[in-house]
Amino acid sequence: MAQQTPQLTRREPETTAARRGIGRALLRRRELSILLVTIAAFAYFSAGSHGADFNTTNNYHIIMQYFGPWAMIAAGEALLLICGEIDLSAGFTYTFVPFVLMSFYNQGLDVPLSLVLAILVSMGIGLVNGLIRTVFNLSSFITTLGMGFFLEGMTYIQSNAEPVNPPITGTLGNVLGGWRWSELVWALLIVALMQVALSYTKYGVYAQAAGGNPLSAAESGIKVNRVKIATFVLTSLFAGLAGIVDQVRVGSFDPTSGGSPMMFMAVSAAVIGGTALLGGSGTVVGALFGAVLLAIIQNGFTLTGVNAYAFDVVIGVAVVAAMLLNVYISSLRRKYLR
Amino acid sequence: MAGSIAGQEFPTTPTTAEGGHFERRSVLRALGIGGGAALAASALAACSSSRTSNSTGTIGDFPKTSGWKFAFVNHVTTNSFFAPTQSGMKDAAALLGLPAPTWTGSENGVVSEMVNAFQTAIAAKVDGIAIPLTDSNAFIAPTKQALEAGIPVIAYNANASGNYGLTYVGQDLYQSGYQMGLKIASEVASGDVLVGISQPGSLNVQPRLDGIKAALKAQAPSVTVHTVDTGAAQSGELSAMESAYQGLKSAKGIYAVDAGSTAAIAQMITKYGISGQVHAGGFDLLEDTITGVKSGALDFTIDQSAYLQGFLPVLYMFMYRMTGSLVFPPATDTGLTFVTSSNVSPYASANSWIEGGTSRAVVPMPSSIGLPAPSTVQS
Repeated sequence: MAQQTPQLTRREPETTAARRGIGRALLRRRELSILLVTIAAFAYFSAGSHGADFNTTNNYHIIMQYFGPWAMIAAGEALLLICGEIDLSAGFTYTFVPFVLMSFYNQGLDVPLSLVLAILVSMGIGLVNGLIRTVFNLSSFITTLGMGFFLEGMTYIQSNAEPVNPPITGTLGNVLGGWRWSELVWALLIVALMQVALSYTKYGVYAQAAGGNPLSAAESGIKVNRVKIATFVLTSLFAGLAGIVDQVRVGSFDPTSGGSPMMFMAVSAAVIGGTALLGGSGTVVGALFGAVLLAIIQNGFTLTGVNAYAFDVVIGVAVVAAMLLNVYISSLRRKYLR
Repeated sequence: MAGSIAGQEFPTTPTTAEGGHFERRSVLRALGIGGGAALAASALAACSSSRTSNSTGTIGDFPKTSGWKFAFVNHVTTNSFFAPTQSGMKDAAALLGLPAPTWTGSENGVVSEMVNAFQTAIAAKVDGIAIPLTDSNAFIAPTKQALEAGIPVIAYNANASGNYGLTYVGQDLYQSGYQMGLKIASEVASGDVLVGISQPGSLNVQPRLDGIKAALKAQAPSVTVHTVDTGAAQSGELSAMESAYQGLKSAKGIYAVDAGSTAAIAQMITKYGISGQVHAGGFDLLEDTITGVKSGALDFTIDQSAYLQGFLPVLYMFMYRMTGSLVFPPATDTGLTFVTSSNVSPYASANSWIEGGTSRAVVPMPSSIGLPAPSTVQS
C-alpha cells in the first residue's frame, strides 16, 4: 500500500534499501509534485520582504480562511471530476444553504433542527443535479449551470438581498466555524474522508471506472448512475456545509458571498492538485494542496501589497508558473520511476 | 526644518503660499473649526511646500514621520466608480510624503474575501485601514482586531450601524435620497413617478429609495412612487426602465437611485425623444448620465465625490497617527452636489482625474457659481 504521508521525505533514511523503498513509494504519489510546488510558494513568500509577517500564526490562520471553503468544496468536485462530471452550482449552494437555514429558523424552528433541514436541502440540491444528469442524460455542465442560476435567484428572494447575523451561537456555533480553527478541522476531515473513500473503498474504484471508461464500467456491472448521483449529493452537501461554516466564521450570512468565484477556486484547486479535468483519475489530498497553494498565492501577494488591478495578472502568472513547475516535477517523477 | 520646535510654543505668523510653510497649529485649528473640507483645503495649500521637503515622511512644517503605509479594502476593486477614489488616496499620500496605499479586497462584493483582505492587511502591519462597511456584522471582529493592534480603521463609501470604524467618509445615503425627494417634490406636484433601483433591499441603494419616499410623503403626498427593479447588470437596466415606461407612459418623472439605472434613464429619454417632457434625475457620473444632464434629458444627477472618499481617509489617518490620536477624524458627508445644466460643463469637458478622467490639468473655475441646495440645519 502506498505511503500516505509525503512529509516523511524530510527525514533522512537510514539505509539505501529503505531510501529506495520510501523514495519509490513517495514518487508514486501523484500529490508529490503539487506538495513540492506548494512548499516552493511558501518558501518564496517566507524569503520575501514581508517574510516575518507571513510566518505568523495569525497569518497562517488567514491562509486557512482562504483555503478552508475551497478545500471542502474541492473534495467533492475532485470526486465529481473523477466520475467525469462537474458541479458549477456548488458556489451558489454555498451561498444559498445558510439562507435555507434562516428561512426554517424564521418560521420558529430551533437552530439544530433548522441546521439539519438545511443540510438535507443541500443534499437534495445534489440529488436533483444527479437525477437530471442521469435520468435525462443532460450534460452536468448545463444541468448545474441552470441550478446555479436558480440558486442565485432563490438566494436573493430568500434573503431580500440583505445580509443577516447567523443565529448559530454557543457550542454549536464554535463547532460550525465559530472556534478559530474549526474550519480547518472540517476541511481536513472532509478531505481525509473522501481520500479514504477514493483509495480504499469500492465506491472509489467505481468512481474512477465511471469516469475512465463509463461503457466498460457499466458493462462490468457497476451502477455508474448511482455512483454519480451519490457524488453529486456529496458535493452539494460539502458546499452547503462550507457555506454555513465559512459564513458563521465571517459572522454574516451574505447573499453576495460565494457564487461562481468560489466554485472556480474549488475546481481549480482540484485540477491543480492533479485531478484530470476529463475524469478517470485524481486525488483529494492533491486538491487540498491545490487549495493551499492558491491560498498562499492570494494571501502572499495581498500581504506584499500588490494593487488590485495588477492582482489578477500576478495571480494568473503565478498559477501558470506553479503549474509548469508541477508538470516538470511530474515528468521527473515518472522518469525516475521508469 | 526651521522652527518646528519653537512653532509649538509660540503663536505662528500667518502662512503664505510663497513661504511654503504649513503650520501645525493652523491645521489643528482648521480641523477644529471646519472639519474635513477645511483640513483638505489647508493640506492642499501645503502642496507647494511638499515639493521642497527634503525627506520622505516630512511635509511642510510637520515633524518627521515614518513612511506610513495605509491599506484600502474595497468591495468592487475593479469598478470604474472607484477609479477617482484611488486617485484621491494616491494624491493624499503623495502630498503627505507617504507611499501609495494598497488597494485590495473583492472584485464582486464577496464579504469573506474582503474580510480576508482586511485581516491580511492587519498581518502585514499596515498603519491604517479604510474599508466600506457593506455588511453590518462581518467587519466588527476584524475592526476590533485592528484597533487592538493600534491600527486606525476608517469607513468610507458605505457605513453600517454597530460597527467601530473611527469615522465615516462618504455619502449619507438616506439623506441624499431625502434631498433628492425634496427636489422631485419641487418638480412634480402630483401623479406617478418611476424610480429605478438596481438591487432592492441592498444596503448600498435601498436607503436612498427610503429617503425619496419619506421626502415625497412629507412634501408632495399626492405623488405615487412606482419602484422598478432594474437588476445589477448594466445592459438589463435599460430594458427594465423601457419596459416600465411602456407600462406607465403617463409618468411625470423618471428617476433612479443607482449609477447604472440613472445612465439607462438618460439613454432611454434620448432614444424616445421625450427630453423635456418628463422630469428625470439620479445618481453618480457615468458618461451617459453626464451627457444626459448636458443635453437636458436629465434635470440633475447627484455627485457623491468618489475622489474625496479616497483623499480624506488618508489625510485623517495621517493626522490621527501623527498626533497620537489627538486629531480624531471627523465624520464627513462627501456627497450632496446636485449636478445640473448650470454646473455640468466642467464634468462634461474637463475629463479630470478627479472624476475618473485622464487629464491632470487644473480645471478652470466657472465665471459664476450656481446656488447650492439651501442649508437645512441650524448649528
